[in-house]
Amino acid sequence: MKLPIRWMLVSIAGLLAAAPAYADLKVATSLTDLASVAQFVGGKHVTAQSLCRGYEDPHFVPAKPSLMKAIQHADVFVSVGLELDGGWLPLVLPGSRNPKIQPGAKGFVDASEGVDVLEKPTGTVSRAEGDIHPLGNPHYYADPKALEVVADHLAEVFSRLDAPNAADYAANAKAFDEKMEASLARWEKEMAPYKGAPIVTYHKNFIYFAERFGLKQFGTVEPKPGIPPTPRHLAELAATMKQAGAKAVVYQPYYSAEASRELATKAGGVAVEIATEAGGLPGTDDVFSKFDVLVSSVAKALSGKSGGAQ
Amino acid sequence: MSLRTLACLVAALISAPTLAAAQSRSMFSNLANPSIGMNALFSGQAAHNLNQPYGLHFDEAEISLISVVDPYWTLTSNIVFVGDGSVDPEEVWVRNTSIPSIQLKLGKIRGTFGKHGMLHTHAFPFIQAPVIMANTIGNEGFKDAGLEAAWLTPLPWFAELTGGIYEGIATDADHPLDFGSTRHDNVPFLDHFKNQFDLNDATTLEIGQSYLQGRGSDGFVHSALGADVTFRNVPPKDSNRRGWILQGEYIQKGSTAGGSYHKEEHGGYASFQYRLSQVWWAGIRGEQAQDSFTDFLVDGAGDPVRGKVTRGNANIEWMPSEFSFLRFEYSHAKADNGAGINPTDDRFMVQMSYTIGYHPAHAY
Repeated sequence: MKLPIRWMLVSIAGLLAAAPAYADLKVATSLTDLASVAQFVGGKHVTAQSLCRGYEDPHFVPAKPSLMKAIQHADVFVSVGLELDGGWLPLVLPGSRNPKIQPGAKGFVDASEGVDVLEKPTGTVSRAEGDIHPLGNPHYYADPKALEVVADHLAEVFSRLDAPNAADYAANAKAFDEKMEASLARWEKEMAPYKGAPIVTYHKNFIYFAERFGLKQFGTVEPKPGIPPTPRHLAELAATMKQAGAKAVVYQPYYSAEASRELATKAGGVAVEIATEAGGLPGTDDVFSKFDVLVSSVAKALSGKSGGAQ
Repeated sequence: MSLRTLACLVAALISAPTLAAAQSRSMFSNLANPSIGMNALFSGQAAHNLNQPYGLHFDEAEISLISVVDPYWTLTSNIVFVGDGSVDPEEVWVRNTSIPSIQLKLGKIRGTFGKHGMLHTHAFPFIQAPVIMANTIGNEGFKDAGLEAAWLTPLPWFAELTGGIYEGIATDADHPLDFGSTRHDNVPFLDHFKNQFDLNDATTLEIGQSYLQGRGSDGFVHSALGADVTFRNVPPKDSNRRGWILQGEYIQKGSTAGGSYHKEEHGGYASFQYRLSQVWWAGIRGEQAQDSFTDFLVDGAGDPVRGKVTRGNANIEWMPSEFSFLRFEYSHAKADNGAGINPTDDRFMVQMSYTIGYHPAHAY
């Protein structure tokens, strides 16, 4: 009888000793791009999932209880920050009842830290300008360089929480940055012919991409952030687009294709569906393939070869 | 002007910048101030059978203050300035999420009972609350000082078990349940079990059960039980433009004396809300409440009497932004007290809601 008990004790001790070797960091994020970066940086030590899907408007994610359940045992939560997820995260995070990932805890990450934020409001902030983001434009994930900042930040966080694998996280972040730099050179070459070209977007969530690749944000389909387009606004914008020779209108899968196409028709241009979040369209499974498809789509739209208002 | 006056003026002008600088370098920081928001709610009603003037009136202004207290607590308060001039500290509670899988709420809280009872007035899907609410747990839900613990169970779906204990308070306009016994063993308590399932990418099913019990000033045990079911659809690609909510809820109030249970007011509602576009919602609701009071069911002297109330509502809402809406609603109701009083009621209503500052999203 003594032998089985001894074997059991040895087995339990062995399991306990072996446990850290199998311990992954469970990472949850508010955006698919952040999950993609987290997975690259974390490699085999991390499992990352996003609460918002790539084809879902990150401003308006329903705060379903199942999202709370999904992060009940997460070790890290990566918020996009700048209040982009501020409409639903204040419900989901406390609802998870997970003290490790509440704001202020070691496992909570504001991914916007360190990013050069554009369109920070100066002077009075008023909702007369629509549903603006008072901390600045939060759609920085449309800039490849900003994601390098996020990768480096996540490597630091993962290293703090899982010190034995810190070297792997640092190496993975470096590899991410190098791959992004190499890809960026390719994308910049592809976009070079369109420097200074005007582009119309549905929402003001393209400014980081426009700045990076030298495009001119000409206007938006919605008259003000969060306000649906009116026929009068579309007619006025179409008239100014014609005058300026602006022909490309881009919109995400979660915005109204009808309004974008109507505007493009009136302006004699093309309306093209794009994904600014990984997973938004087929073939955009991670941030690299997302930018591959995004750059290609925008370049074709600006050349007049793709999309169309029909 | 005397020389002394001139000297005083010069001295004042010289010292003015110093004073201004001192004021701008206040010793009081506002960086840790709470998030502040306010909702103002107005409504109008036209009902030919009610002895009330037609017109617009101010319902309430709700001021909310939310802030982290320290690493352990977050404080939420909703102070309501009611149209009649009174002030109601509707909710003032602290929340703790330091214990894994447990959320603690302490203070003046909205007890976790059912679905409609968890809504703030400006979040009601219809201008009128269901008749059964005011007859069982309160028109705006069960609001009382107490302590609640909500456990997110380890079941593979969202399954939350909430238990709460509250202050024993007697019946008043906001509290139809009599928990006013002064016996030391009178500790009103609640349990709530909520389950939510993702049926697919867009549609969820939520099933809830609630029970609330305490001892009344008459010495009897008074209780309310509830059950609710909600199907909700939010298409991921159209989360801000399309969707629908199908909901039903049943609540029963009762009392127990000498070991026998006596069913009192009971009833429920079924509603369907449909989002037509980013800015338009429409809804219909049918309801019935038994042994209940309502404002148009009165006797010859104008005193309220009990009866069966059946009502249907239909509304349409224009929501030009996330922060305001304008709603039109029509309701038709009939009541019968079983003793020859059986009035009908038709009313047209309008409601306007405006929100400024920080306002957290409402629960799913």
